[in-house]
Amino acid sequence: MAIQKQYYRRKKVCKFCVERIDNINYKDVKLLSQFVPERAKIMPRRISGVCTPHQRLLSDAIKKARNIALLPFATE
Amino acid sequence: MRNYEIMFIVSPNAPEEDIDKINGQIEGVITAGGGKAEKIEKLGKRRLAYTVKKFREGSYVLFTIQADGAIVREIERRLRVMDLVIKYLTVRMDDDMKRLDKIKAHRQKRATRRGRAHAESGDRRGPSPAEQMPEE
Repeated sequence: MAIQKQYYRRKKVCKFCVERIDNINYKDVKLLSQFVPERAKIMPRRISGVCTPHQRLLSDAIKKARNIALLPFATE
Repeated sequence: MRNYEIMFIVSPNAPEEDIDKINGQIEGVITAGGGKAEKIEKLGKRRLAYTVKKFREGSYVLFTIQADGAIVREIERRLRVMDLVIKYLTVRMDDDMKRLDKIKAHRQKRATRRGRAHAESGDRRGPSPAEQMPEE
């Protein structure tokens, strides 16, 4: 008999849609660093819950920020 | 003419006057080419996320300009040559700005439409059923 796990998973929502953040700028380190965990990788959508259009803007911004040494490429 | 942002990092042991001198030079290039330097911001010293040319920190400078590709190319060439500049990045902003304006306009339109719909619905709900009845 299969026992169904009974836990409720909270529905993830896109931070940028909810808070109406239109401008995902590469200079905004405080905002971007929320989506860069310790290993300095870009957080995947399945974990952060960011929607596809915003994830695309976000990853572009993070890559620009890396280029000008605002964010790391990898942890040393 | 396009909008660009040019950000560069000057070596941390460069004195303030040298940074000003670099800024002056770049501004000269922009105005000589027929562009416009809208904003020049010194963002101050910051720790770098990784070592660049053996430096752990650097002074950031941000230029917001209106210029052509040729001017940007010239600025980049100059920045590459300068020893004090350890890193630079040019970002084209006009597409981004266009996108933001579009979103903003869309939001505003929706907000006004919603406001008007609320106001009208109150008036319309009363007479409309009464008007329909005699027609049938």
